[in-house]
Amino acid sequence: MGNAELDIIDGADYVNHYKNLKILHCNNQIKELQTILRDRETSRSDFKFSADRLIRLVIEESLNQLPFTDCKVKTPTNSIYDGLKYKSGNCGVSIVRSGEAMEQGLRDCCRSIRIGKILVESDADTHEAKVVYARFPEDIAQRHVLLMYPIMSTGNTVSKAVTVLKEHKVKEENIILSNLFCTPAAVQTVLESFPKLKMLTSEVHPVAPNHFGQKYFGTD
Amino acid sequence: MAGKIINIFDPPSSASSESDVGETQADFSEVFPDCEGDEEKSGDFYNTPASPITVPYCPRPPSTGSQKSPRSRRQRTTSLNQSSKKSAAESMIRTQHRTIYTAGRPPWYNSEGQKVEPLIIGICGGSASGKTTVAEKIIEALGVPWVTLLSMDSFYKVLNEKQREIANRNEYNFDHPDAFDFDLLFSTLQRLKEGRKVEVPIYNFVTHARESRTKTMYGANVIIFEGIFSFHNPKVLEMLDMKIFVDTDADVRLVRRLRRDISQRGRDLDGVLKQYCGMVQPSFNHYIAPLKVHADIIVPRGGENEVAIQLIVQHVHTQLQLRGFKLREELAQIHARSGQPRPDTLKLLPTTPQIRGLHTFIRNKDTPRDEFIFYSKRLIRLVIEYTLSLMQFNEKIVETPQGVQYKGKRMATDKICGVSILRAGETMEQAVCDVCKDIRIGKILIQTNLQTGEPELYYLRLPKDIKDYKVILMDATVATGAAAMMAIRVLLDHDVPESNILIVSLLMAESGVNSIAYAFPKVQIVTTAIDPEINDKFYVLPGMGNFGDRYFGTEPSDDLLQ
Repeated sequence: MGNAELDIIDGADYVNHYKNLKILHCNNQIKELQTILRDRETSRSDFKFSADRLIRLVIEESLNQLPFTDCKVKTPTNSIYDGLKYKSGNCGVSIVRSGEAMEQGLRDCCRSIRIGKILVESDADTHEAKVVYARFPEDIAQRHVLLMYPIMSTGNTVSKAVTVLKEHKVKEENIILSNLFCTPAAVQTVLESFPKLKMLTSEVHPVAPNHFGQKYFGTD
Repeated sequence: MAGKIINIFDPPSSASSESDVGETQADFSEVFPDCEGDEEKSGDFYNTPASPITVPYCPRPPSTGSQKSPRSRRQRTTSLNQSSKKSAAESMIRTQHRTIYTAGRPPWYNSEGQKVEPLIIGICGGSASGKTTVAEKIIEALGVPWVTLLSMDSFYKVLNEKQREIANRNEYNFDHPDAFDFDLLFSTLQRLKEGRKVEVPIYNFVTHARESRTKTMYGANVIIFEGIFSFHNPKVLEMLDMKIFVDTDADVRLVRRLRRDISQRGRDLDGVLKQYCGMVQPSFNHYIAPLKVHADIIVPRGGENEVAIQLIVQHVHTQLQLRGFKLREELAQIHARSGQPRPDTLKLLPTTPQIRGLHTFIRNKDTPRDEFIFYSKRLIRLVIEYTLSLMQFNEKIVETPQGVQYKGKRMATDKICGVSILRAGETMEQAVCDVCKDIRIGKILIQTNLQTGEPELYYLRLPKDIKDYKVILMDATVATGAAAMMAIRVLLDHDVPESNILIVSLLMAESGVNSIAYAFPKVQIVTTAIDPEINDKFYVLPGMGNFGDRYFGTEPSDDLLQ
């Protein structure tokens, strides 16, 4: 593996290409978390610890994409603060299983948010993604949806999940995809098919850390 | 005299909870001196005195007997216990009449963060002349917090084999200047004068060596230094701002010595007299009495001389007032002018909609408390994560399970610790623990004196070897910056390099940022928002009110606020 491969890291090219792709501002701290998650030598406990931290940061950033309105509030010193208020009517949807790792992070930020689930399995032979289970809040069509899936290598699973959401009348521009690690191919697959979807990730890199779910849930 | 010291430092019966904790800890570390644990009690933390009225354990030189409290008749080997008890009681001095709480140290530096030198009082006089009594009476009458009492007895030289034999025969002259380590004494006093932490040796009169334990002392506003040769060394003499010679009649001193050595230390008359005539008295006449010429004040009759002590105390008060200043007001005024460029050391979190949204909840006075806490925690987590990104990182290439290498980064140091400024800063501790496994957390209690409006230091407890750590100093809000500056000053006095300190808060006032940056240009300042103004109660405007009160639910009711 050549050095060139090592250096494709910040994914800036992709951001320019796809205006709806947002990459978490990569500071040293985030780089360290990514390094720990990628490192073969990382213990499970450290892995989960760092994963939870990175998830929290990605979720916080995803919430930035939600709609808000300006509002003024009175502070205890009776002064006015020009703040803003998020609109209600959001919900989370996690893609089973690794997407569920991100649910807690979302709960930590939005205590009573509704969370739906989709189970997508890929066929062992054809690699075709198939929806096995889906359960959403009833009025999901009117909501902004935070779709959670940490690792994307082909983008097939997510594409399938987005299709299902659209079948439930969720507007494409109301879907925000929260993701930790993503390959260029997955960006292409998802954003070419759903150009209005907003996608947020912490890293675009040719090699996806596919061990994530197994290591996080301890089933390796 | 040793007996007297112990009287004064009996463990307080009605001690504050802080000093109770201190005592438990001291005893515990006493039992397991080498225990290395994470719990506070295992001696990992300094039992930092809320104030250093520290009368070091100092048996008189000639007494090779036991250093014992009047109640117990055990050998001096128990002295460790006594000294640890003493350290537990450091936050107060108990006298027969009242208890002086020595907590609440007012600023010992000016608005530029530079230290103002403490007043150093030297007390000299013959053996058993009543130096310690005079010192204690001065401390009692002064009634100011943060007084350090340093005794020369801590600085006896370590004896070699031969000298030790002589000492065991009562023939070693402990009353000779050569018996003292003046270099160490000088450097210790110098550091105290600079307001730094010092480790004062504990001299063991059985082994004639220094114990491995030392006594931790801090710079103070008043330092009292007493000893038979306190005026002997010219360098030391030069440091003293006020020189007192206690002149007690030789007969009285002999009587005191006889009484003490015979009735309390079980020595025989001949032995005491031999030592007195052969060494103590000649030494006094030859070395100590001539030192009287250096004195500013000569106090006849020692501690009984109330008039002299009153005069001294008045003088000290005048001196302290001359050095006093209005720090907080000064801070608020100096940097109030706006339009200054923001300092480079300021690291402001990018103001995303998310941050503004959180601020909206936190600042709104009608936000219920559970929401206030919830959104505060989220904001705190973000600021702490951001703070960590400001640390030093090294490039590191790791092997991945996918079989390719990954060029990543790892933090250059794992020596990071948190220090919270009580009370609001404590709200940020959890977040630090959530992002750094097993991080050590120190605490500093700084309260505003309601009369003077000045910040005062009450309590501190910091991880051992804090000088080797990157320190995340936490306070929820920074208005004038007075408390933050005091906390930074404390860290600097503990030898933490300025560039290793990050002051982290949720909200700062423009003037606080400027004050801190101006006084400590290498300290990194991390915050999520900066407000332009401070009101006359030193609250930030528009601000978020008293963060600690709102978080902990202790805010006064509305009508009290008006």
